[in-house]
Amino acid sequence: MAKLAGFNKVEVLVVGAGPAGLAAAITIKKRQPEIGVCVIDKAEHAGNHNLSGAVIEPGPLHALLDMALGQWQESERAQDVLGHVVEKDKVLMFLGKKLAFSMMPSIQMARLFRLGFGKMVHKGDYSVSISKLTAWLSDIAKEVGVEVLHGFAAADIIMNGDGSDAIATGVKLVDQGRGHDGKAQANFMEGEVINAEVIILAEGCDGLVTERFVEEAKLTRETAQLYSVGVKEMIAVSDEQYEKFGSNRCVHAMGYPLWTPLRGPGMFGGGIMYTHKKNHITVGMIVGADWKYHDFNPQDALARFKEHSYVKRYIEGGEVVEAGAKMIPEGGYRAVPRDPATNYIGKNNVIIVGDAAGFVDMLRIKGLHNAISSGMTAGMAVAAHFSFPEEIAMRYTRMLEESRVHRDMRAARNFRQTVAKFGNSLGFPLSVAANWLPKFNIEPDYETMTKASYRFKREKAFDKDAFTAAARVEHREEQPGHIKIIDPEICYNICPDNYDCPCIVFCPAGVYERIHDEARPANPSNCLHCKTCQNKCPYDNIRWGVPEGGGGPRYKDM
Amino acid sequence: MSHYIVLVKQVPDVTQITDNAFDPETGNLMRGKLPSVINELDAQALAFAEHMRQLDGTAGGKVIALTMGPPMAEDVLRYSLARGADEAVLLTDRSLGGADTWATANPLAYAVRKIVREMLGGADDYYVVSGMQSVDGDTAQVPAQLAEEMGLPCVAYATGVAKGSERAEFTRIISGGSQKVSPRALPAVVTVAKYEETLFAGFAATRWARQKEIIRWSADDVRPTAVGVKGSKTRVIRVFPPAKTQRKCKHVASVGEFVQLLRESLKKASAVEGANGDVATDYVLPRKRGSVMDRSFEGTSKEIASFEDLVGQLKALNIESAGAVDDEAKEKIIAASRNGAKLNQAMLDDMLKGLEAVEPSYRGDVWVVAEHDNGQVHASTFELLGKARHLADSLEVKVGVVLAGQSVAGMAGSLIAGGADNVYVIEHPLLAEFDPSAMRKSIAEVIGRHWPQIVLFAATPQGRVIAPMISYRLGCGLTADCTSLDIRDSSRKGEIAVLMQTRPALGGNVMATICTKDSKCQMATARPGVFKRLPADESRKGEIIKEEVELTEDDLSLDVIETERGTGDVNFEAEIIISGGKGLASKSNYEDILNQLTSTVAEHLDCSVERGASRAAVEQGFVERVHQVGQTGTAVGPKVYLAMAISGAIQHMIGVSNSEAIFAINNDPNAPIFKQCDYYLVGNIEEIVPELTKQLGAN
Ligand SMILES: Cc1cc2nc3c(=O)[nH]c(=O)nc-3n(C[C@H](O)[C@H](O)[C@H](O)COP(=O)(O)OP(=O)(O)OC[C@H]3O[C@@H](n4cnc5c(N)ncnc54)[C@H](O)[C@@H]3O)c2cc1C
Ligand SMILES: Cc1cc2nc3c(=O)[nH]c(=O)nc-3n(C[C@H](O)[C@H](O)[C@H](O)COP(=O)(O)OP(=O)(O)OC[C@H]3O[C@@H](n4cnc5c(N)ncnc54)[C@H](O)[C@@H]3O)c2cc1C
Ligand code: SF4
Ligand code: SF4
Repeated sequence: MAKLAGFNKVEVLVVGAGPAGLAAAITIKKRQPEIGVCVIDKAEHAGNHNLSGAVIEPGPLHALLDMALGQWQESERAQDVLGHVVEKDKVLMFLGKKLAFSMMPSIQMARLFRLGFGKMVHKGDYSVSISKLTAWLSDIAKEVGVEVLHGFAAADIIMNGDGSDAIATGVKLVDQGRGHDGKAQANFMEGEVINAEVIILAEGCDGLVTERFVEEAKLTRETAQLYSVGVKEMIAVSDEQYEKFGSNRCVHAMGYPLWTPLRGPGMFGGGIMYTHKKNHITVGMIVGADWKYHDFNPQDALARFKEHSYVKRYIEGGEVVEAGAKMIPEGGYRAVPRDPATNYIGKNNVIIVGDAAGFVDMLRIKGLHNAISSGMTAGMAVAAHFSFPEEIAMRYTRMLEESRVHRDMRAARNFRQTVAKFGNSLGFPLSVAANWLPKFNIEPDYETMTKASYRFKREKAFDKDAFTAAARVEHREEQPGHIKIIDPEICYNICPDNYDCPCIVFCPAGVYERIHDEARPANPSNCLHCKTCQNKCPYDNIRWGVPEGGGGPRYKDM
Repeated sequence: MSHYIVLVKQVPDVTQITDNAFDPETGNLMRGKLPSVINELDAQALAFAEHMRQLDGTAGGKVIALTMGPPMAEDVLRYSLARGADEAVLLTDRSLGGADTWATANPLAYAVRKIVREMLGGADDYYVVSGMQSVDGDTAQVPAQLAEEMGLPCVAYATGVAKGSERAEFTRIISGGSQKVSPRALPAVVTVAKYEETLFAGFAATRWARQKEIIRWSADDVRPTAVGVKGSKTRVIRVFPPAKTQRKCKHVASVGEFVQLLRESLKKASAVEGANGDVATDYVLPRKRGSVMDRSFEGTSKEIASFEDLVGQLKALNIESAGAVDDEAKEKIIAASRNGAKLNQAMLDDMLKGLEAVEPSYRGDVWVVAEHDNGQVHASTFELLGKARHLADSLEVKVGVVLAGQSVAGMAGSLIAGGADNVYVIEHPLLAEFDPSAMRKSIAEVIGRHWPQIVLFAATPQGRVIAPMISYRLGCGLTADCTSLDIRDSSRKGEIAVLMQTRPALGGNVMATICTKDSKCQMATARPGVFKRLPADESRKGEIIKEEVELTEDDLSLDVIETERGTGDVNFEAEIIISGGKGLASKSNYEDILNQLTSTVAEHLDCSVERGASRAAVEQGFVERVHQVGQTGTAVGPKVYLAMAISGAIQHMIGVSNSEAIFAINNDPNAPIFKQCDYYLVGNIEEIVPELTKQLGAN
């Protein structure tokens, strides 16, 4: 339509309004207000698709807020979002359903000797909800003049040219208004193309457009990306329970039910207990996605964790008011996608920030500070060199290499792979020397599945309906399914006999169901966008696509 | 080339209401706690208008979005601009706040006139398109009243549109079917009841919408004749949370007992009435009470308490009549008034005046407007008659019924047997088809001749169109969709024996009691199934009064092209809904079991019945999606909901919570549904169904 001519053109387009994307956008606007910056996100409202633990390292966040707001410490919003500072930092080892030992002494010791896992301390960090933090950053971005537009899901990147000259001209949004059968309805709207001079990919973990770009621009990773799956619940507890727990405690628990020394299971990960709201305790379970039990589901482990006597006393009788699931990229330094020719994290006018690039520091199990730092670095690179869009990838990579993100990521570069290779009992001690060990090539997560069963499987199936209800997930029901099975034959003939269709079990939202003897993504509208299925189907038989904008969970306090 | 003025409204997002959205003290909904969204049916109306524009095909047709509301209502205008609207008008003014439907429709009509004058060059080929109703008010009154104010044809309850030879042809819902109609002239008002293909925001359009200037008008700019609270014809007396139904969760051991309970639940009249009102006791006129000081018939219990207090104090001071209270006594009373109900001078004066009031504020009979089809009076009319009889008896007046149509006098007898004293018969050839314009003109004329004090309509597709038009035409307030009607006093306002109209609002999340004001007559619509009809008494005597009205072709507003009755649509208004879940295992099983049960029930229990399903059953392909019950299906509220092999997931149960009785059969003794139903049987469906069918079939 004529009146809309030109409105699909922006100068800088950021895909993904998470902490990384918003930090980038805010930085550009603060430094060079005349550059037009637009951020799009598939969630209906700011923060709806952002889920984290989270304890966040204050440094980078402070730097961002100082730059954007100057005075912010006293503001009501800051009090609301950052009101909880960790004082009691507990790292525990659970042995069985009742015992809990403190690991703090060994961590303190490791810290003393400057060993890697000595960095697992959180005292002084903020305990936050990133849905809320993201919503705040989104408002700040709008205030400084960024266009933040929600409900727009990107489906693809449009590249022009080949090889080293390949330049991106824009991003295509998903089609909207098709029926179940894929046919266009009366309200059909073809995915628009947004043209941009610079594109910042900030889609978070396993980004769809990011991976399309990695493929198109031929970026490579030194090792395959590894993932963890996080499931969490926010529980409203009684006054007494909250008082007992305190407003500033943060608990990380290893061991049971993911790992026991002798008889297994042997999975990477652990449970968390945080609080970032009065009378609410968040419990979560983060599990390395290289688990090998075909009948395992992180929610089962979460249910076990909640029954452990240390956890139970704080949450028993409480009501789950919100729940959700998401993945964390854990491959670290060597799994960051780069242009093999130049080593840049991106190509020409396209760069990748935050979880989309994989900037999670596994020694700290943290990614938020790096998401913000890498976003700010990207912002500075774009602000300073906007007139030369094709130089942005180079400038950004150079600036990042000077930064702490790079140093920390490098220091932790082999930790997760070592644990993956040798298992927890041997891997943790070995990880001390991980950086001197040779590089391992670890298989992708989906290849690790076996016929083995999880020893602590619960009798009663986890109530996934209640879980998705607490995530307030919603999609327009009539749209075509956004999850594709590449070869349904495998689901029918091969997978059932070998692994009994693990997707039915591990999908936290119950999207997969057996219909006429075949596992299918029968309820796509339950989907939490965690992308576990895409990385855990033993036959790598699932492709997750973005549904229509605005669909998905509606997290407010995750 | 036509233009489209779309009425959009900003409403609180009622899907997000939780218990803590209510003020624990007052029970009032704290609107600030809810996000605001566009009213869903208005979003559909916008898509409907866009669809009409595309059907029309000629270039140049404009879509203009119009809203009246606080400044933040701008959001729904930007929403509309991002989805095809070309211009947006915000009518905003403090003085317009607190308006009821009357004082909303009136300024909107003036704004439409101004839009036509100034933005459409005085064209008359335009449609005003709006959602049929809004979720916060649920009244469906504004568009019809706007049509009345502007004297335009009104196509209500539209669900589809096609290109006609001259003007667009609309499909609309009528009682028990659907109808194709075309307005006889433009401009016309169209209200959309269901059009699911709402528009998506475009990226470029959203950015364009952000910078597009919104036209802002104040009350002075449009000069309405009814403004805000002052211009309203109704007033809210109180708002309170609805009574929560407690499910019985009773395990039933035998199929026989299960069927027995099911039969009883079906027979019970709807429990809605009274359950959510305060009072269900009869009203006594002041002059018939033991003492004129007796104010136990006030509208709210708080008022009753303060009057009791006051009367107690007067007694203590030995004062016998309210007129005898001097200044000194007043001071004493104020000083002694309790902290919780502290009085001030003005309040006390009001109450003293109230104590002196004894004469009813309204005069005249209690009337019902009859609805009929194929020579049969609708059940809803008889239900209203039952209520009208009750109200009239306590007011010591008569019950009248208006019966309008082509030749309808034959039905008058049944109305008298159903409780009427007078039947006012209007017969005219032009009333053969239900045409809202002709109908409202005739009925309003007859009401205006006799001025009853109360007029009741059924809240059906017909009633919900003509009631707003008639009330607006006669300058009277109207309350829609009442679930409880009681005569009470509002003495402090000097009002005696007024109609307290209680209705659900905000999607059933709150109840509101409303009174008519500044009107000669109190009008209300009530949902079918809410009130009880009287047993027909053929020996009752009554009078049939012929009323003449003058109608010409010009009084018709719509051409009826085609009427379809009882289309194969899903009838979720049925008295009993039987749903099957995934536990039924296969499509053939679902069909066998459901067909068996529904046909047996229809045959032997003499009630309407419909099939439902859980989403899992739909996904498995047992039945089409239109049968899905629940959060993403349809929310239902039958007398009996029978769930077969359904686990009771929260998303399913949300959609059945309004059912009067929930029955469940499941073979899992720990099925979650057992904690959310009234009666349940534990066992295998396959084994239970044969016995169940047999017992249901036994007379
Ligand atoms: C369970 C769990 C616990 C964690 N705990 C901690 C912790 O304690 N401390 C810590 O520092 N870090 C923690 N992390 C990691 C941290 O949450 C992430 O590193 C951080 O959120 C990354 O930010 P981001 O902006 O890169 O991505 P995200 O926050 O994931 O944001 C990406 C955004 O992009 C949008 N998007 C994605 N694809 C598209 C598309 N195609 N079109 C449009 N929009 C799109 C998404 O909707 C989303 O809003 C945890 C993560 C998880 C899952
Ligand atoms: C966003 C969202 C929206 C949703 N919207 C809806 C909605 O609108 N409507 C809806 O229904 N669901 C909805 N759901 C899905 C909902 O969560 C449940 O998955 C669904 O309702 C389950 O259907 P079911 O009870 O038929 O199946 P199941 O949960 O599989 O239950 C089958 C039941 O049958 C019983 N059974 C099995 N065999 C027999 C037998 N022989 N005899 C007796 N009993 C037997 C079993 O004990 C079990 O209780 C939604 C979910 C989400 C996430
Ligand atoms: S999608 Fe993957 S996990 Fe699921 S059945 Fe098919 S092959 Fe198995
Ligand atoms: S379908 Fe895939 S992405 Fe969606 S919730 Fe299930 S595992 Fe996660």
